[in-house]
Order: sequence, then C-alpha cells, then structure tokens
Amino acid sequence: MARVEIRNVGKIFGNYKAVDDVSLTIEDGEFVVLLGPSGCGKSTLLRMVAGLELPTFGDIVIGETVATRLRPKDRNIAMVFQNYALYPHLTLYENIAFPLRVAGRRGDEVDKKVRWAAGLVGIEHLLARKPRQTSGGERQRTALARSLVRDPALFLLDEPLSNLDAKLRHSARDELRTFQERVGMTALYVTHDQVEAMGLGDRVVVMQGGRVRQVGTPEEIYLYPADTFVATFIGTPPMNLIDMPGEVLGVRPENLMPVSFFGQESGLRRMTMLVSRIEFLGSDKLIYGALDDPFGQAKVIARLPSSVPADIREGERAHFAVREHELRSFDPQTGLARPAPIPQRASVASHG
Amino acid sequence: MAETHTVQPGDRAIAYLTLTPSAAVLLLLVAVPTITVIGISLQDVGFGEMSGPWIGLENFAWALTSRTFWTALKNTFVWVFGSVSLEMMLGLGLALLLNRTFALRGVARAIILAPYLIPTVVAVLVWRYMFHDIVGILNYMLMSVGLISKPMVWLASTSTAMLSVIIVGVWKFFPFVVIALLGILQSIPQEQYEAAEIDGASAFQQFWRITLPHILPVFLLTALLRTIWTFHKFEIIYLLTGGGPLDSTTTLPILVYIKGFADFELGRAAAIALITFFILVVLLAVYFGFMKRAEARQ
Repeated sequence: MARVEIRNVGKIFGNYKAVDDVSLTIEDGEFVVLLGPSGCGKSTLLRMVAGLELPTFGDIVIGETVATRLRPKDRNIAMVFQNYALYPHLTLYENIAFPLRVAGRRGDEVDKKVRWAAGLVGIEHLLARKPRQTSGGERQRTALARSLVRDPALFLLDEPLSNLDAKLRHSARDELRTFQERVGMTALYVTHDQVEAMGLGDRVVVMQGGRVRQVGTPEEIYLYPADTFVATFIGTPPMNLIDMPGEVLGVRPENLMPVSFFGQESGLRRMTMLVSRIEFLGSDKLIYGALDDPFGQAKVIARLPSSVPADIREGERAHFAVREHELRSFDPQTGLARPAPIPQRASVASHG
Repeated sequence: MAETHTVQPGDRAIAYLTLTPSAAVLLLLVAVPTITVIGISLQDVGFGEMSGPWIGLENFAWALTSRTFWTALKNTFVWVFGSVSLEMMLGLGLALLLNRTFALRGVARAIILAPYLIPTVVAVLVWRYMFHDIVGILNYMLMSVGLISKPMVWLASTSTAMLSVIIVGVWKFFPFVVIALLGILQSIPQEQYEAAEIDGASAFQQFWRITLPHILPVFLLTALLRTIWTFHKFEIIYLLTGGGPLDSTTTLPILVYIKGFADFELGRAAAIALITFFILVVLLAVYFGFMKRAEARQ
C-alpha cells in the first residue's frame, strides 16, 4: 500500500477545463471518496491517477515515485470500472487470472492467487461461469477480485456500485468497506452518490466544476460545509439557505424544529413558518413552507422525526426554532462559509 | 366475430389463404426453375430447345469424368480461397486501422468503401486498362521501380490470369469485410482495453485476448458469407478474362455459361449447375448451423 499525492493537477480538453488545479493527499491505507455531480471532473481526476489520461499540468506521486508520465501498468495500481470491464468470453476464473497471465505467471501460483482473491469476495463457487451467467453483484465482486490479485499499491474505483439495484448497493457498500478495512487498502473511489461517499469514505473530496470545494471527514463536510455548493449538495433534503442582509444563513432541515421541542432551552433563533405542505415519509415528516420576516419569505424544508409530537397543519403558521450554534453563515458574494459557530454573527454582519 | 384469441375453426383456412400469394410467387421463382434445371440435366438438350432425349444421369457422369469440370472445380477453389483469405486479411487490417482515432477518420472510412459502391462493369473496365500490357499503369509502375524488366500480359497469361482476377475481386469486395468487422470492433467496450492496459497487457496481448475473441464469431461468419458469394461470382471473371486463357480462370459458374451458351450443351450445363448448387447448399448449411449456434450463445 502507498501514499498518493496529487500536486496541482489539471486537465484541459480543448478549451474546457475538466480538472482545475487540484491538490490532494491520500494517506497510506486511507479510503478517499471523490464526490460530485456529473461533469465535475472526478472521473477525469481518477483516470489521471490511473494513467489513462495525461494531466495537462501538475504531478501525481504514488509511493515514492513521480508517476505522472508512467504507463498504467507501471504504477502498481488496480482499477474497478463502472461496468466492471470483465472479458465476456472468459470464465470468472480466467477473468481474475488475467492480470497474472499477462504478467507471464503460470500454474500453481496463478491458481492459488485466483482462489485466494475469489475467496475474499465470496465467489469461489462461481469460478467456472462466464460473466453473462452471473448477477450484477457477482460481476462487481469478480472485478474486485481481479483488482486484488496483483497486490496493487492503490485501488481506484470508478462508481463500482452504480449498476447495482438499491438493495444490493446497500449490502455491497457494507461488504466493500469491511473488505477495505481487512485488506487495509489505499483507495480512491469516485461516486456521485452522497450516501455512498459518506458511508464509505474516511475522507470525502467534494468537487464541482473541476475544482475541489471541500476535503474532510463525512462529519466535517456535513456539519461544516465549506460553501453553499457543498451545503446544498450534501444532505437530503439539502441545507436550507436563507438570504439575509449581509449574509446567507444555512439551516439543516433536521435542525429546524417546532419551538415546543426545545422546552426551556436558550440560545435559540425563532422562525415562524407558513406551512404549505407536509410529506409523511415513515420515520420522518418533511414540512415545506415559507418563513415570515425577518427571513424574507425564504422557502425552507424542516425534517421532523415522526415520533416528535407537533401540532402543525398545512396552510397555517407554525413556530419553529434553531439552536444558534447549529446555524451556518455564508458570504453572500463568494458563497464561502464564515467561521462557525454563529454568536459573532452580529459583528460580521455589520461589515457587510 | 371472435372477441377472444382462441383459435377458431376457420382461422387455419384464412392463414393458408393469406399465405398463398407469397407461396405462389416463391414457387414460381424458385421451385419451377429448379425443377426445370433438374429436368434438363437428365436430358440431352441443345440450344434453343427445352427438352431432348432422356439420358438419365449421363450428364452428371460426363461432368464427373471430364477434365474440364475438375479444372473448373480446382479453379473455383483457388479463386474462392485466394479471394476470401486476402479479403479477410486486408479487411481485418484496415478495420483495425480505421477503428483507431485519427484526423479525417470519417473521410478515410468513406474512401475505403468506394470500391464496393462502384458498379462491377465500371470497375472491371478500369482494371482492364490498368492490367493492359502496353498502356497499363501496373506494368508502368512495376517497370519503373525495376520489379519487372518487360511488360507482363496479366490477363492473357495462364500463370497470372487467376492472380489478376483475384486482385480485382479482393479490391472490389474487401470493403464489405471492413464494414462488418468495424461494426463489431466498435462494439468492444473501451473499458476492457483500459482494464487490460492497467493489468499490463501489451498491444499484442490486447489484440489476442480481447479483440480477437470478441470479433471471432463475426469474422468467421463474414468469411463464410464471402465464401458463398465468391463461389458463385460470375461477372468479374467473365468480364475480365471470359474464363481464359486456356480455361485457367474458368470457375464452375463460368463453365456453366460456356457449356450452355457457347457449346450449346444445356443438359451438361444444367448438370454442372446442379453440382455447384449442391456444394453451395452444403456451405449454406454450415452457415445456418453457425448462425443458430451464435444465436443460442446470445
């Protein structure tokens, strides 16, 4: 396993900047997830680390080696593709053995390695089958096993779960993480699915428009988004953004609760909402509405556990509140977060 | 009126009734000529006649014992094997080349197809000019680079006539192979090559382990189809050499024509035609067997 350093890397296609000056370090044994909407440059970045694309500028260091111009095979990496890239005419056994065969390994060594890798992902009983005779989940595991047999220093995974159905994706995510911890692999993982990113990543890199918006643990990214993009990209429903004079206030839907919920607590920001709609989602209720002044009719969503009793009706006003320290503040011009927590807000606002 | 989908007593009759027109056309176009030819092959029929004395299998016996027939059969195999193998090699090479990304790829693909679109008569006339011993560009070029010292009579020499005919055939039909193979080459997911690249497979290993297994069914099918079509090809050879010189380019279809319309021996022509037909039926059976297996694999 190895440490990976991405130094000021960029990729320009024609006059389109796909990746714009990205720097990032992946520590030995760390699982880092690149997260962003489609076209944000995350796959291009991954492909540059793999050696499938040449960076327009910047360097990629894998272990002790500057790998920027090395061919993919000389980087000691393994990659799992979105469509798994299994060879349809080969059995799962031969698919997994492929990297060893092209490296000229023969006989017992190949067999031992293949069975070891297949055992790790639990597909020993399927080795004689062709890919088309297996399910999506089994193919995904085969691709994983194939990536394992060469003992790579770095695993690159390009949306490997996106072709699985929702239920399977859940268990595959769990397996992948357990597996990563057992093998101790250094991994760079690309996804557009925030649940996957939060669930898998030691750290999450949020990208947009070819740039890194924020790097942090899932908690950091969720609780302290670096800007309004991250604030609204992470979380379902996303963080409510409320335009105020001189600042943009951010409130997570689950922090916006009926006043009665807080009891005698102090340090609250009270808000009155004209409720337009209530959605019952089972464990939660989503309450859609617009805030009264001084919050400028801002449209917001509150997320209420169904277990919390609340006398809220569509078309009526209801009293809500947020703990001051759970409020986030963003610069209205740049969208960047201002230092949390909020209590100093008044002094910041007076400058604006 | 029947509202349900159950079969009614009259349905079968209606089905047969609606099928009758197409069945009749097929019968008229396929069965009648075939039966007529079988009939003629059993008689001694001269030109301008539709029947003659019944002589049983004598025409077949003649064919199978005549040197002309066996020469034509041998020529046919040389023509088919030579043309198809060269078409396949050239087609594969060019398809692999055209499958890569390069500037003006679209233009190159269009140009490659040109020979296939040019009418055979036009192509043959142009090639006859190029093969001409005095004014032909082929001799001119070969002499100017010093490969030959005096002009060659390409089409009128027994040693080069078949080669010349094959060259024209290959030139005319390799684009078909290119189209077929390019289609299947483009269906190979790029990710498979990228995965192989990461796994350290060389360019040759990628061709051998990814490209070839992927295109093999289409490659074999195309080869088989080209074999069948080349087997009964007539006009290219006839227009270039007329089957000569000294029968050196007389293939079975040419022999059928010569027997029927030059020697006026329709009975013998019909017998040879039926033998040719039989060989093609065997090839077609192989083709359909192959298709069936390919479909089962899908």
